[in-house]
Amino acid sequence: MAAPPTNLTALRQLLSERFPQAVRAPASALLTGIPCVDETVGGLPRHAVTELVCSTPSCGGQLFVAQLLAATRAHRLRVALVDGTDSFDPGSCLADDLVHVIWVRCDHTDPALQVTDLLARDANLGLVVLDLRHAPEAELRRIPNRQWYLLQRAVEATDLALVIVTPRALVSSAQLRLELTRAQGIATLEEGRLTLVSSMAPTLQRQRLSTPSLGSAVA
Amino acid sequence: MFAVLHLADFALQAVLRTEPAIGLRPAALFSGHVRKSLVISINSAARASGVELGMTAPQAVARCPPLVIRAPLPAAEKEARAALLAVGFTLSPLIEDTAPGVCTIDLKGADAEKLVAFAQAAVDELTRVGLTSTAGIASTPLLALYAARTAFRRPTDGDLTRDRPAAASAHAITKKSTSKNTLASPLKPAAVVHVTDPASFLSPLPLSAADPSMELSGVLASWGVRTLGDLTALPRDEIVRRFGAEGLALWQRAAGGSNRPLHPVVPPQTFSAEMEFEQEIETLEPLLFILRRFLERLALELQTAHSVAAELEFTLKLEDDTTHSLRLRLPEPTLDLEILFRALHTHLESLRTEKSIAAVQLRLTPTRPLVRQQGLFETGLLDPHGFAETMARVMALVGPDHVGTPELEDTHRPDAVKLVAPHAVIPPPANAPVHPLLGLPLRRFRPPLAARLEFTEGRATYLWTEQVHGDISVQQGPWPKSGHWWQNDRAWARLEWDIELAGGGVYRLLRVGEVYFLEGEYD
Repeated sequence: MAAPPTNLTALRQLLSERFPQAVRAPASALLTGIPCVDETVGGLPRHAVTELVCSTPSCGGQLFVAQLLAATRAHRLRVALVDGTDSFDPGSCLADDLVHVIWVRCDHTDPALQVTDLLARDANLGLVVLDLRHAPEAELRRIPNRQWYLLQRAVEATDLALVIVTPRALVSSAQLRLELTRAQGIATLEEGRLTLVSSMAPTLQRQRLSTPSLGSAVA
Repeated sequence: MFAVLHLADFALQAVLRTEPAIGLRPAALFSGHVRKSLVISINSAARASGVELGMTAPQAVARCPPLVIRAPLPAAEKEARAALLAVGFTLSPLIEDTAPGVCTIDLKGADAEKLVAFAQAAVDELTRVGLTSTAGIASTPLLALYAARTAFRRPTDGDLTRDRPAAASAHAITKKSTSKNTLASPLKPAAVVHVTDPASFLSPLPLSAADPSMELSGVLASWGVRTLGDLTALPRDEIVRRFGAEGLALWQRAAGGSNRPLHPVVPPQTFSAEMEFEQEIETLEPLLFILRRFLERLALELQTAHSVAAELEFTLKLEDDTTHSLRLRLPEPTLDLEILFRALHTHLESLRTEKSIAAVQLRLTPTRPLVRQQGLFETGLLDPHGFAETMARVMALVGPDHVGTPELEDTHRPDAVKLVAPHAVIPPPANAPVHPLLGLPLRRFRPPLAARLEFTEGRATYLWTEQVHGDISVQQGPWPKSGHWWQNDRAWARLEWDIELAGGGVYRLLRVGEVYFLEGEYD
């Protein structure tokens, strides 16, 4: 008899070998238009939670969200943006990149989570973004882990990708976790948006599901 | 051929279908506002407890202490009558509102082999809307009524007993059915009786089925005439010679009546329902129950009018005579009862009223069914009703003015944006802009953070706000901006700087008058 697994990764490996039929098929992905993300992890996994950690100021979190809006606009997908601290600036986007967006302006984290839970179950949406980047630390600490798993369960039944923007690694159920760590300087205000998007380089912190375009070849 | 849908104990059924809490409890209907109120109708549970027709309230309660006592409710009867007619219209456009609880339907042209199935479907439909019914099919309206009264009703919750005809006569019909007259099911008592042989059907029926007067009934009983067959066996002319016109009418009724033309009911042109409550409603459940009853009937009426509902409008009249109205435009016209009910339910869940509810009115706006096929590349809503429900729930959580698609206003005023309803179909993307966007998007602080600055040699060197502080390493600006200077109440002017802090972070700083604010973070 084989020795018992010593850590979580080994346990997952063991389970996938014993019960291959129970292992979920690779998720389809939503292409972001951000070369680094699409080439490295194959886009954002659908029916899964992606966490985008913005750990430094001006690291490009909002640029990432704006690029998601532009990419989904090209595919005419409906997007819900749950703004946990009412900080989204539509004026920073093209008017045409907003016609498919449903902007939910929240003042606190609790209603934002409830709204996300509702939207994550809607079959009409292709992407839901929950922005908690500026949420007070006290409110973030109060979110139970169970909440993240409920969101994961909610999106599993749909065909949408759920992106949660946080100031630190927080979402325990995230299938994909990217982190933006490099603060941008004032000189970037003169650069074209496309150039900035091309130079974005989030670091991969976690990837639990392989995506069809790249499999497990992850940096 | 005619069919009759019959609701026995119509007034009691009408009242009980508005009160789900009664269920199987014994219930009795007492005559209205008179000095000595008597039992005029009872359900099977009350009958089993020993309550009988004609008892006074103390007598009835003495026999059955938990007896639920109700008075006739005209609004409930009106609603039940409308439901009965709505079901009648599903069988034929030519129907007659013959009497309370009796709807006669002209089935001319219907497939003779499917008549029983049609009638059974109507009985099932009435069961769904909370009414226990029977149906009769025969060559004359009166014969069909006899058949409907004779049929066994299905045992359902709140099943009612009838004062006529007796179980013995119904049993006789069941026996007959094996030979000629047919029931919906040969193995069990059916709610539908199809009379194919009038003579054999009528013969065993008691004389009371033809509603003779008391005097005539007494005389005929003394002659030994107890059934319709006994009466029609007597020569008609002799009956007329002894009893005159009244005798002739009774003889003709005993023979099954004639094939008379119906008094047609005009199909409803408006689709509304209303009810005043005897006891004001304070919770959601009974209100939803009534609204569901309304919707069941209105959906049937719309179905027969080949229309669907485009809009729901409901009005609540409160105890203090104030009203609360709501108009719900459906994302896609529909006739689906569950969708209509869910739309109402979702909005009512978040509704709070100061006073209890005294009356409710519901109106559906009809429209033609949507027949347009969506284009191959159109990206409309996959589930419009689900989307509308989700939006309603989100609005209930954060407020209706906090949800929508952002639309930039045609002005240079900062943060000028409005929220509009989400588009039903997402249009194709526009061409690439002539002037592409530059720089990082702004992440706004709403409201802007009050800022304090330290200056060295006229330049800001340190920033302090509630959330952000640090040495300012780089700054660009100022850029003066203003607008609407021609309107005193809307004029705005400010100076803007872009600053970078030594510890990281690019921000927009602004000065309005002599006060500094941090408007947002470039992110």
